[in-house]
Amino acid sequence: MGLPAITEQTQPHDRSQMAGRSSLSATLKQALLNPTAGGLLRVMAAQFTLRPSLRKYLKGVDGWINFAVGLKTHSGTVTQSIAFRDGRISVKGTIPDDADIVLHFKDDDAFVDMFTLPPNEALNLVLKNRVSLDGNPNYLQLFNFLISLMMKDKHAKVLAEEQRKDLAARREEWGEGDDTLSEELQSRPQYRMSCTSRDAGVVGLEDPFLPEYCLTDFPRLELFLEDHLTRKPEICAERAKLLTHWFREHGFETDKNEGELAPEVRQGRAFKHMMSHKAPVIRKNDLLAGTTTRNEIAGATVYPDANGGSIWGELFSIDKRKLIPFDISKETIETLHTDVLPFWAKRNFVEWVRDENGSPDCQTINERWVAYFVWKTVGISHTVPDFGRVLDLGTAGIIAEIEARLNEPGLDEAGRGALLGMTLCLEGIQAYASNLAIEAGRLADREIDPARKAELESLSRTCQRVPHAPPTTLDEAFNALWIVWLGLHNENADTGLSLGRLDQLLQPFFARDLARLTTTEERQAYVKHAIELAGCFFMRCTDHFPMTPDIANFLFGGSASNQALTLGGVTPEGEDGVNDMTYIFLKVTEMLCIRDVNVNARFNLQKNSTAYLDRLCEVNFITAGTPSMHNDDAIFKSLAPHGYPIEDIRDWSATGCVEQTLSGKHMGHTGSILMNLVAGMEMALHNGYHPLMDWHLGPETGDIEKMSSFEEFFEAYITQQTFLIDKAVEYNNMLADVHARYRPTPVLSALLGGCIRNARDATSGGATHNTSGVSNIGLADITDSMLIIKKLVFDEGKVPFKELKEALDSDFGDAQGLQALVQNKIDLFGSGDEAGIEMANRIAERFHQIYNSRRNYRGGKYTAGFWSMSQHVAYGFLSGALPSGRKAGKAFTPGLSPQPFASKNFLDNICDVAKLNPEFMDNNIAFNVKLIPDAQDTREETVNTMKSYAKTYFEQGGMQIQFNVVTSETLKDAMVHPENYRNLLVRISGYNAYFVTLNREIQIELIERTEFGL
Amino acid sequence: MSASALLLEIKGNALDDGPGIRSVVFFKGCVLSCVWCHNPESISRQAEISFDRLQCVGALECIQSCPEGALSRDDPQFIDRDKCTLCFECVEPCPSAALTRVGEEVSIDAVFEKLMKYKPFYDSSGGGVTLSGGEPTAQMEFASRLLERLQAAGVHTLVQTCGLFPYDGFMEGLYPHLDLIYFDLKIFDREDHRRRCGAANDMILENFSRLQQEYEKGGVEVLARTPLIPGMTSEATNLEGIAGFLREQGVSRAQLMEYNPIWHDKCERLGNPIAGQEDPLRQWMPREEFEQCRAIFSDHGLELV
Repeated sequence: MGLPAITEQTQPHDRSQMAGRSSLSATLKQALLNPTAGGLLRVMAAQFTLRPSLRKYLKGVDGWINFAVGLKTHSGTVTQSIAFRDGRISVKGTIPDDADIVLHFKDDDAFVDMFTLPPNEALNLVLKNRVSLDGNPNYLQLFNFLISLMMKDKHAKVLAEEQRKDLAARREEWGEGDDTLSEELQSRPQYRMSCTSRDAGVVGLEDPFLPEYCLTDFPRLELFLEDHLTRKPEICAERAKLLTHWFREHGFETDKNEGELAPEVRQGRAFKHMMSHKAPVIRKNDLLAGTTTRNEIAGATVYPDANGGSIWGELFSIDKRKLIPFDISKETIETLHTDVLPFWAKRNFVEWVRDENGSPDCQTINERWVAYFVWKTVGISHTVPDFGRVLDLGTAGIIAEIEARLNEPGLDEAGRGALLGMTLCLEGIQAYASNLAIEAGRLADREIDPARKAELESLSRTCQRVPHAPPTTLDEAFNALWIVWLGLHNENADTGLSLGRLDQLLQPFFARDLARLTTTEERQAYVKHAIELAGCFFMRCTDHFPMTPDIANFLFGGSASNQALTLGGVTPEGEDGVNDMTYIFLKVTEMLCIRDVNVNARFNLQKNSTAYLDRLCEVNFITAGTPSMHNDDAIFKSLAPHGYPIEDIRDWSATGCVEQTLSGKHMGHTGSILMNLVAGMEMALHNGYHPLMDWHLGPETGDIEKMSSFEEFFEAYITQQTFLIDKAVEYNNMLADVHARYRPTPVLSALLGGCIRNARDATSGGATHNTSGVSNIGLADITDSMLIIKKLVFDEGKVPFKELKEALDSDFGDAQGLQALVQNKIDLFGSGDEAGIEMANRIAERFHQIYNSRRNYRGGKYTAGFWSMSQHVAYGFLSGALPSGRKAGKAFTPGLSPQPFASKNFLDNICDVAKLNPEFMDNNIAFNVKLIPDAQDTREETVNTMKSYAKTYFEQGGMQIQFNVVTSETLKDAMVHPENYRNLLVRISGYNAYFVTLNREIQIELIERTEFGL
Repeated sequence: MSASALLLEIKGNALDDGPGIRSVVFFKGCVLSCVWCHNPESISRQAEISFDRLQCVGALECIQSCPEGALSRDDPQFIDRDKCTLCFECVEPCPSAALTRVGEEVSIDAVFEKLMKYKPFYDSSGGGVTLSGGEPTAQMEFASRLLERLQAAGVHTLVQTCGLFPYDGFMEGLYPHLDLIYFDLKIFDREDHRRRCGAANDMILENFSRLQQEYEKGGVEVLARTPLIPGMTSEATNLEGIAGFLREQGVSRAQLMEYNPIWHDKCERLGNPIAGQEDPLRQWMPREEFEQCRAIFSDHGLELV
């Protein structure tokens, strides 16, 4: 929240005591609460009226920034508002009707806490619904920004103190650590297996495992990696500023000059303007030209047209916060505050929906955090563009195709607009590439080192050719991909835009380059160069950071942009797709050990070799957390009922975390909704009332004490959850509508199959295939809860429902026996018991049916996935106790992984998860497994065991599996010695993160995950 | 006909009891009674009651369920084992599984079915089933029939034995159905063996020699294994004795098993806390000491696996 922390007396985990000790709190708690609150606001008003250094911040480029904020407790003990109008500030004991945002405090304590807790803890008040927001959150951010102007020195002190205390607390909790643990991890890359057989598709690599190379053979990559792990990325306002200036001059909602322009054309013109004026930056020593931001090493782009306003309040503290801090220059702060953010405060997806639909319930629920999260509030690009066309045709070829389409008869104005927008965008990308060519030439002229000079000259020639023309070499292909990719990143905020099957696309370039070489030395040098190129590509991708407000560190802890890359599997014709580039990407994955690119490997039981699976497992072991592995057969099964052509199905790739998308032609928005399956359970237990939201929002499905059968309760649950699903769908569709009308995506559309033919933007359904994917979080927890209710309450009548509910309401306070009973004596999902599998399939089938019967804005179906990103921790933190024995606030299981106590035998877990029907899981799953390596085993033995787990799981029908090969002891050591674990990769549920950048709750979830020996 | 056996448990996903991913069938009842036994619950040939203090949530429903009044919060051991008649009435009411029955009579069909569930994992990893204990040869007929069925089903089979068994019965019942034998040689000195393991080792050494001879004739591979127990088996003289014996027998490979101190907790749960044990037994064996032990075997020309 960023409200002032007036007291320094903070004990992070003891809120009540802290509030009690503060003398201010004591004062506030009395009847003086309202006058005190008013007094504080008046102090603020006086400061901003009298001090010119503060007052100047009330004005932006467009004039005075006018807004009003209201504060109110439910009981009415506080009612205050502060309004900023044309430079005048007024504080009142009433809340004006036109207040931009009103903070509703659940009780007086929440109000006092808000003003006494440090900013990061104040955040919890909002998440935990002790403060709810009514209105436009950008204005709360602005209010916080103004407060931070007065308080920033104080905030900095509090943050520094917090961090010092945090490390001390960690030492106390987790001990002093053990250096041998980090040494074990660091030693893993030292031994590297050789390959015993070569796949048919491998044409150039002598040993596809490439054991002869390690990171130190690539000083360039070593340096890039060191930068990545040690330097803060920088918030960059370039994109935001260029777009703002263009739209300010030409109009956003309508064109100031021509008026009737299609929104795609406006977006296209703005994008072309931005790309033409974007600084061409080439990183020192890089083999790829161009950067997403002005910072040559690592940057975060600001998307004010999406969620940019969410960092407004943090601009002065974002460089000091504990988790994933960003550098930010004074100039950037000024630009964002005065030039950019005020212009967009009401121009973004969330506010258009709020404005046009009068704050619908479906939006309010989203803003209460606990039931669902709709990603279209941030962006829409959770898909895989068609890079094949960039490589086959070049952007010029695509433009020619658009021209041809424009000349076809029968095209309406909307179609023309959509197509023109695409052309403009591609021209923008070309303009940027031309600027890069000039910049490379300029740098080459000044370069003294002859080797680098030659590289820069080559880069200059490359950027003159691509992506305009189709690339002819691997160097050109990588540069073309990167330039187009950064163009896409400059259009859409980071929501899992994914790379697709680059091994398939790049193999012809590798093979062609290699065929030109004759001597062994030349060929070896080329292979090394190809590895280095792929490494540079990974580093460029990983150094594009999503701009995350601190709340995202809680909700989506440690998540990068999640640019999924897919390797292996079969070709569209069904032949073995593993090739040289597959292994080159795996080598890079092994050496760099970075969180993003998010590497996903397909394994096809019929066509792919076990040597390839061995290599996947070895890389997974060395990196501890990547790649994630998918079973082609199960994915095919999940997609078949949609009636897609088989060639498209065979060409699937993972998106964002794990989700299957038909590469290059499928607007699958696979991360559109993150749905909490436990929210419906809490509502079913309370007859439609949700305790945390303190809101009777759902239908009345009956008093559980009067229910006479399990089926009655099961249906009550389905009814409540369906209510939430429908609300989320409604909100997602409203957002899709404003995306299409205000902020279409012509760059993405130009690169997504179907959009040109259909002459429609991707947001309007232009792509060949259209669906929206949901991830459903908490399947194992719900399955177990259902099993327990069925058995104990209804089948055996051992525990009355009333007693069970009381146990839940008291968080098992007086019912530890009951908690022990459900955790020890009932066969749960993952125990090997058929009932658990049946129940999980039954629930998944119902939800799948519900989603498939709902239509998205583009006319496509909703699909059902069972992975959790990081929401199993966030939703767990916000949810009450469950019949499964899970206590309030504890994380759910990650993805759909069974509970730790379900079985001591990991094979039972594997078999049960493998029996879930892929047809119900058309948006994939995440099955997380933590394995402990045995120091006595050879690498070959370790890999053999991992391979057996994965292969047998796939043979049994399992869909996806991801291993964390790290012990709890090591994770605990990383809690106290983060410096030894800078790139300790962990898989959360679908994505990778650096353990040391995670919030405490996720860290603990990872430590407490069941571990199985290797 | 022995259609059932008294088993401790069937452990799945075992990675240290033979090649690949295996299931281990732990038989209850042993012919030896080694003082350091790591599976003390496996020695007795009857079912026992185990109480795990750490698991107990204090529900106390067990106390009412006990017909003998053998359970009491005031008893530091919780169970008065003199009063306990092993009726196991207390096990079911205990919600947290702190009270458990150790040892179940299980039918061969049930065991076979459970083991076969994991066959795909044996196949993909080169694993299989291991019979262990306790002493599997002490329930020879059951073991024989189980191995026969497993072998017929294409499962790799292995038996871990203390070596004290009637040779002819073993050769007739188990040998034809085995792929690998893990044979424990714990203490070489006869008297010392009797003192610490409860029986002399003549028959054990004799059995080993004969099996080794069979192996050399193309029979089943036998791997000699020595658990390293500080102050007992890890003494240089003992290791020298065993190593010398193995070389005499023409053996070239053997295994030394690193000491594992966690068995103490198990004893406590069964009501036999080990008092006054020397400190080394509560620690993991220091790395250097382990290496010294290995060196003795290596010096005799034995390859360590």
